[in-house]
Amino acid sequence: MLKNVIESPCGLRFMLDGLDLQSGFARRWLLEMNMMTSASEIEASHDVTKRFVGFVRTIDRTHLTTLLFRLQGVKDIRTTIKNLRQQSTLDDIELFEVKHLAILSTQVAQLLAEHGMGDAARIPDLNDVITILDPDGLKMASFYIYDSYCAELQQLRKLMREQPQQQEELLVEAAEIEETVRRDLTLKLHSHVDAIESALVALATVDINLARARQVVEMQLCIPSISADGSSHYTAMFHPQVKAALARRGKAFQPVDIAFDTSPTLITGANMGGKTVVLKTITLCQLLFQFGFGVPASEACIAIKDEIYFCIGDEQSIERGLSSFAAEMKNIDAVIKASRTDRKILALIDEPARTTNPTEGTALVQALLKVLSSRHMSLVMTTHYDIEPGSAHCLRVKGFADGSMDYSLVEVAGGEVPHEALTIAHSLGIDHEWLDLARKELENSISEKTC
Amino acid sequence: MQSQVPFISDILKCDSLSIVGLQKNTGKTECLKYVLQRLPLHEKRVAVTSIGIDGESTDQVTLTQKPEIVLRQGMYFGTSEAHYRQRRLVSELIDVSDESTSLGRVVTARALTQGKILLSGPSSTQGLRRWMRDMRRHDIDLVIIDGALSRLSLASPAVSQSMILATGAAYSINMSQLVQRTAFVVDLINIGVTSQDNIGKLAPLESGLWWIDTDGNLHEMPAATSLSQQVQFEGMEQCATLYVAGALVDSFLEKVRKNKQLRQVELVVRDFTKIFVTPQQLRLFQKTGGCLRVLQRSKLIAVTVNPTSPSGYVLDSAALCDKLSQAINLPVYDLLKDKTKEL
Repeated sequence: MLKNVIESPCGLRFMLDGLDLQSGFARRWLLEMNMMTSASEIEASHDVTKRFVGFVRTIDRTHLTTLLFRLQGVKDIRTTIKNLRQQSTLDDIELFEVKHLAILSTQVAQLLAEHGMGDAARIPDLNDVITILDPDGLKMASFYIYDSYCAELQQLRKLMREQPQQQEELLVEAAEIEETVRRDLTLKLHSHVDAIESALVALATVDINLARARQVVEMQLCIPSISADGSSHYTAMFHPQVKAALARRGKAFQPVDIAFDTSPTLITGANMGGKTVVLKTITLCQLLFQFGFGVPASEACIAIKDEIYFCIGDEQSIERGLSSFAAEMKNIDAVIKASRTDRKILALIDEPARTTNPTEGTALVQALLKVLSSRHMSLVMTTHYDIEPGSAHCLRVKGFADGSMDYSLVEVAGGEVPHEALTIAHSLGIDHEWLDLARKELENSISEKTC
Repeated sequence: MQSQVPFISDILKCDSLSIVGLQKNTGKTECLKYVLQRLPLHEKRVAVTSIGIDGESTDQVTLTQKPEIVLRQGMYFGTSEAHYRQRRLVSELIDVSDESTSLGRVVTARALTQGKILLSGPSSTQGLRRWMRDMRRHDIDLVIIDGALSRLSLASPAVSQSMILATGAAYSINMSQLVQRTAFVVDLINIGVTSQDNIGKLAPLESGLWWIDTDGNLHEMPAATSLSQQVQFEGMEQCATLYVAGALVDSFLEKVRKNKQLRQVELVVRDFTKIFVTPQQLRLFQKTGGCLRVLQRSKLIAVTVNPTSPSGYVLDSAALCDKLSQAINLPVYDLLKDKTKEL
């Protein structure tokens, strides 16, 4: 469910917080959504999103405002629907809720139909429900046990107004009749319970689709296509949260192109080269794609996965009392175990074994790559260690040139890691005494090796 | 007729009214009944609610039932689901809010016959404000709030435009003490409003201590609230206005009074509900040239008295009305007595 991955360090929460949903029910409904893993389901969902993107681009302000205002009125009446399904007599408040929903859904359906969106929204027709709860045809979203339900009731209420001193007894008498009417209404409504439930879901879905579509337009996202061959391609991919943070400081985000398939991809590159951001963005895009959202890239063709693993190195699991190393090992262990199944897996592993000594770290990473290379899965991994890439596809951050960082990824033949740490530290204005000594140490160790 | 229904015409000029009692049994409910019976419903759409049940929970402790209010046909009302189900009138539901109270959600309905209802509206000030905003969508002209016991904060001008204050022997059976204590509350309610210029600068500030110099520049004081012990007034020789966004308490008022450079300063608070000072401190402050102002003021429409204390002791109604009226310079009504006179 979406609510289980919302806190993923990839930045999904930022995207969901930015969604302008109109009702609390729509938000709850969205969070309870399961990740889609079938191509037909994802395609259908994306087709609807595309329709809504076209809709929000063309609809005029006034109509959009009216539509959003209507959607704000959607309430979570699932308990009422459950009672109705069980045929337990609905009280006035519950009957009001059903009527309110019926009128609202009719209004929203009409507004959408006027803009050719009727088939995209698929709101069931609840006019029969309205007729049951609106015997006088007033078309008002208010409710009580109307006089016209029963002539006797009408008579009693007339008496109440004429002889207020007898009201108490008359109310008791009326209450019995009212209860019979409620029972009758409940039974009549019961045959429409499926339509009522679908209407509630359809309204929440319209709300979600509208919010998604507006996010696509505002954040300049794309609706990705589905890859058939297991490979994923992104053109001008960006991370919306990082982009927004940079924009606040007056800086621009440099979009990145990347492609990967079911053989491993190894990303090397200088510190501060945006490697982690690349992994975050891929994770984010994959999740957004499979939950039916637009994806932050100018173009994207994405392969569907059953499971997505994002292992970010410095994640300490304080709750479980694990050190950063232990937490990381456990996370990667889960990837290896999952890779033994026949499920389609995408794993994004950021600098594995970075917190341990380089000798053992290198060995661990080298072995991990070998293990995962033999499996049919998508893996994108970053590292600073010098390892033998084998069959892995190698990418490298262009890096530091002419005093600025070029974040674009270039293909390289081997897995050789760049040695730019000292240059970058220097550009950060780090203490000279330290860096000069480090440079000497480095030179010594190189000359020792060559001797 | 007009003379018999004194302050009704004043109420009709406002869009919201809180009825607040200084103590239990000061006749707040009587006052509400009085107002509801006399409002011209053909002129105005009226909605009535109460601030939650929590403020009134003492009713359940003392096992005295929260009084039912008689509504007239055509009135709108907001109450909890539980109390709606116990209604003794025919009414039409017009809204079920997301606002939840211990007695269920707050529902809004219109009375189709006259009859009795238990009122228990939104349980928080924010909830109440949201409900009042929703009422505007239903073209309600006047919202009346049955204030909870000793919850002056909901009589804040931030919630309702005007108020009626109910006081009486239950607040004190010593007449002069009753007059004095009530007069102090009335004085606070009637504190004057600061300049438009100051309102513009200070209204957006939600917290902290701020001051405006003689050139009109706004500065923030390092101490976070007026409650903190280490308030420093250094470098504030040019201070013309001092603003306390939170609560104003005795200790702070005393510090301001004793600081020579702040002698002529105008001290500003958001509204009277933020003032928690004793009459003595306030008097000393004003004596030494201090001036207290608010950003927003409630219109005090009337003060009503209930001369009977819960223990049965009865003060002389006419003398009480007279004395209090003189002290506060406003008409004071004993509604029960006036009602008997009417009959």
